[in-house]
Amino acid sequence: MEMNESHDLPVPIDDVWAALNDVDVLKNAIPGCQELTQESETELAAVVKLKIGPVSATFKGNVELSEMNPPHSYVISGSGNGGVAGGATGSASVQLMSIDDGNGTRLSYEVSASVNGKIAQLGSRLIDSTAKKLATKFFDNFIAELTPES
Amino acid sequence: MYATNYKKASSVADAAKAIAGADEGKLLAGGMTLLPTLKQRLASSDCLVDLADCGINGISDEGSALRIGAMTRHVEVETSDLVAKAIPALAQLAGGIGDRQVRNRGTIGGSVANNDPAACYPSAVLALGGTVHTSKRDVAAEDFFVDMFETALDDDEIIEAVSLPKPEAAAYVKFPNPASRYAMVGVFVARFADGVRVAVTGAGQNGVFRHKGLEDALSSNFSPDAVDGVSISGDELMTDIHASADYRAHLIAEMTRRAVSAC
Repeated sequence: MEMNESHDLPVPIDDVWAALNDVDVLKNAIPGCQELTQESETELAAVVKLKIGPVSATFKGNVELSEMNPPHSYVISGSGNGGVAGGATGSASVQLMSIDDGNGTRLSYEVSASVNGKIAQLGSRLIDSTAKKLATKFFDNFIAELTPES
Repeated sequence: MYATNYKKASSVADAAKAIAGADEGKLLAGGMTLLPTLKQRLASSDCLVDLADCGINGISDEGSALRIGAMTRHVEVETSDLVAKAIPALAQLAGGIGDRQVRNRGTIGGSVANNDPAACYPSAVLALGGTVHTSKRDVAAEDFFVDMFETALDDDEIIEAVSLPKPEAAAYVKFPNPASRYAMVGVFVARFADGVRVAVTGAGQNGVFRHKGLEDALSSNFSPDAVDGVSISGDELMTDIHASADYRAHLIAEMTRRAVSAC
């Protein structure tokens, strides 16, 4: 699954960058995230519980922040193991651009993700749309964390 | 399948109580989605609450609508004289779901509550402007189907029946996946005195939806040709290993033409 989107936020670029690296913000943004603990400056451990229709699975995995170019861009990637259900890996390349004379930021992201194991085998007809929904939900949640009044 | 408990509820209230009392209770209707999921260990439940004896099955004629109990099996809708007389398109839809074994067990309540984006029944309920009667309230079709696998139902809410207004004419045509028989695209067209309603399943990323362009075109000219002038966008449609969004857009037009011809 591949997708890319872009959003304009009424928040200065440094604040957006800080939020992208903030464990608490990320925990609230990741759909179904039960636990997110910082293992190092760029590595996090996650437990995510997802329910899509009849299927529900708990994924244990890692999130890594790489290619750090503050405050302009980074890559956030993760992989999760859902036990017998299978697993997933994904990464998003996130770019920030200052707009509006420094009062705003354009947040753009390119996501690529893949699902493996039983969920991929049995749910192949729904993988793309589900993965897109989850990626969109992550960024919608993130933006809501940043702009609570809107 | 992980070990679980099983309870056959004696009424809807009994079922609601059993679900509330379990950590991960699940309602069991036809089981045609739930049981394979459990067998594959893609979900687990500590208590399966069977609705078969809750008295919510059966089909009745309410005059301007048919009322179908949530636990009515697809085969019952398929072979019912009442349905054949009032909404034959519905009998045909039910007869095309899955295979014979699935139709013997699967239920309208289960299908509507699950809201699989490729299920057939949601398109009928939405196109006919039906109402979902639950243990708590009545919900219009417009408000019921929220997103793929998501409905307006609360966690402890149980569907008791679905009422479906009788149209002047209706037809359902689907382009099924040859293996699973799920709708790659399914279109339900219903003509009422005040206009035509067209509901599409199998195609949308957010589940079943009505197509305004098709409805407007067919309301002024109820013929397959009227579909030709309607632009159907691939945005918001699903792309998967079976079909691209653009191909689904093309199928929507074609299935609509066939449904209008069949009305």
